[in-house]
Amino acid sequence: MNSPPKIPRRVAIIGAGVVSPLGLGLAETLQSLRTGTDCVTPVMAFSVEKTRCKTAGQISDSRLLEGVNRGRRNRRLHRASYMVIAALDELRSQADGFKPEMVMVGTTSGGMTFGERFYRTLGNGGCSAALIANYPPQKQIIDALEKFGIDAPAQVIANACASGTNAIGHGFSAIRAGQYQRVLAGGYDALSELVFVGFDSLQASTPEKCRPFDAKRSGMVLGEGAALVALEELESAQQRGAEILAEIVGYGISTDNHHLTQPNPDGSGPRRAMEQAIGRANLTPERIGYVNAHGTATVFNDAAEGKAIEQMFSDVPISSTKSMMGHSLGAAGAIVAIVSLIALRHQFLPPNINFREPDPELRLNIVANEARPAEFDCVLSNSFGFGGTNASIVLRKM
Amino acid sequence: MSSRITGLSWVTPLGSGVDSVWQRLLAGERAPLEKLANEQNGASYLVHRVPADATKNLPPHPRLRRASAISRFAAAAGLGAIADAKVTPNLERTAVVFAISNGGVIYTRRFYGEIVKSGAQSASPLLFPETVFNAPASHLAAILGICGASYTVVGDGAVGVLGLKLADDLLASGEVDTCLVVAAEEIDPLVCEAYRQWRLLRNARTPESGHGMVVSEGAGAVLLTRNAGGCQIEKVDPGSNFFRRAEATGKLRRTLDRLGVETASFCIGSANGTFVDAAERRALGQNVPAYFPKLALGDSIGASVLWQLIAAVQALRTGRLPGSVEPVRGRRGLVLACGVNQQIGGLALCFD
Repeated sequence: MNSPPKIPRRVAIIGAGVVSPLGLGLAETLQSLRTGTDCVTPVMAFSVEKTRCKTAGQISDSRLLEGVNRGRRNRRLHRASYMVIAALDELRSQADGFKPEMVMVGTTSGGMTFGERFYRTLGNGGCSAALIANYPPQKQIIDALEKFGIDAPAQVIANACASGTNAIGHGFSAIRAGQYQRVLAGGYDALSELVFVGFDSLQASTPEKCRPFDAKRSGMVLGEGAALVALEELESAQQRGAEILAEIVGYGISTDNHHLTQPNPDGSGPRRAMEQAIGRANLTPERIGYVNAHGTATVFNDAAEGKAIEQMFSDVPISSTKSMMGHSLGAAGAIVAIVSLIALRHQFLPPNINFREPDPELRLNIVANEARPAEFDCVLSNSFGFGGTNASIVLRKM
Repeated sequence: MSSRITGLSWVTPLGSGVDSVWQRLLAGERAPLEKLANEQNGASYLVHRVPADATKNLPPHPRLRRASAISRFAAAAGLGAIADAKVTPNLERTAVVFAISNGGVIYTRRFYGEIVKSGAQSASPLLFPETVFNAPASHLAAILGICGASYTVVGDGAVGVLGLKLADDLLASGEVDTCLVVAAEEIDPLVCEAYRQWRLLRNARTPESGHGMVVSEGAGAVLLTRNAGGCQIEKVDPGSNFFRRAEATGKLRRTLDRLGVETASFCIGSANGTFVDAAERRALGQNVPAYFPKLALGDSIGASVLWQLIAAVQALRTGRLPGSVEPVRGRRGLVLACGVNQQIGGLALCFD
């Protein structure tokens, strides 16, 4: 019988890269978080004439593609590929020569807009095989690996909106168990019409501002982006003198079987994931100094998550940074892991903007509208998704 | 680490009984070819469909009321693998790992088709949730009552290997004792058209040509535990990605070396009538007897590695390979997977 190692290994983050509506790179992201910038803008990529929601957190193509060689092969890549390439480029500037044995990334739709174009041109002879080849969800990470000559398998986790946290969390667990020394983990998703209209059809997205945990919250807005972290077994990273950005100490995953798209209102699913993450970190909830909530601003999600947080913590500060950048689905968990990393390293609490009125049903310490300085060692980052997937990770300051 | 296969099940175009389908494969049977029409552009494609009675024993469940074919195939295979194990796993310590490539494409096409045809205001809130990749895994977890870890892994025809590797890592972490690994796929004209545009599909006018893939559908499932003994997955090599097709052979060889091809009794390959055939045959050479189930069952893309794995288990159990009069010598077999969208991997299994 095989057994896991008796002494679990410790896992360090030694590099990070991010592209989101908050900015391209860690520095711009920090600036937007500190100032509580609302990065949600009107959707221009497709018609929103007949949808309730008209806005999303979006990345400017002109900035994303600035300086990119648009040769024949590159021209065919999906914009999500460029997001992943940009995030990986930034990560490699901190962890030069990082050679992962495994890549674990989350996404929900990969190059979906290419799939949409394929469908729309099907009957009129305008189809292109390049659309098909560059559409699949694994293609965008493979493009980035090719760009930097990284020869590693890519495990693409599609656990809806929890995908990014699941990818980082599973990477952490596998290093901790001694399966790998180095894992590249994260997530990506680009805005697409199909998904935008899908959430609109469920009336999950809002025609107003995104107001997580507000009494009058009316839904989410979508976002997009990519984020990656370089994970390495701590001892090995220390031995070779790598800069340790933070340590991942806990990960929890649960499945809520209540409904395909709605959480159990009692908050038991999110609670199990958070308890597991904190328990595996050998911490108590009191040690958590900040919770970056999933906080989509839908009535049901925030009620269930808020209830679970209320039950577990006494007065922990919480915010949903989706209020600033929208919900980037498969990328969201990875982006907020980096938001949590930034908050931890710079010792401040990112704000939950557009907050006006506390929900009388929830007793929560919301970091309302403005960032706050704070001293804390551990942060909990939550992601929950369709299919009842719940994931939480705990990061600790080094 | 190695994991023990305690139960297995499949839903294929030749039916759903593991032994009965295996006997048909040993007898040289191929799944019947059907033509599938695409109303959008008038094209037609050769496909292998799962017979209607293959999921007839599926118990009713509210989650399956609106679910697409892929979820039904997955549920039938998943429940079948648990039944085959004859021991109910501790569900608190059981994870679901789901491998998928195209996912719920029937509902995805319908959902987006309505948007294109009638506008966003007519998009169906009932269809959209079923388009999400992890919907089948969610349904399966709900049917089984699994509330712990559930992962959906997406990729090309090699995705099953990556799913099995994820299961292997979960078992190694000690966080679960049992993993139900399921892979499933459903046929839709949109998928066939995509492969046709990509020049990978068999021409409907030359069904016997052997050139080009025939898309099929169905599911495969294995129940894995951390115990040793019986039929075991000895090693999973998650492989890598080939950036050019010309690199595929070299990367397949590397996987075969890592898996110890020199001590293998046979290899169950992924040849499907495309460039994969030549790459795989070159990598395998003449050193090991090989069998390619996709040539009989079609290419079920995301589900195919689980079919290959089940075929490998059956070859070890019965000591026979379809298409060969020679008995299987030895107790060790390989599964090799080369997807059409750049992913490669493989695994080794043995029988104690």
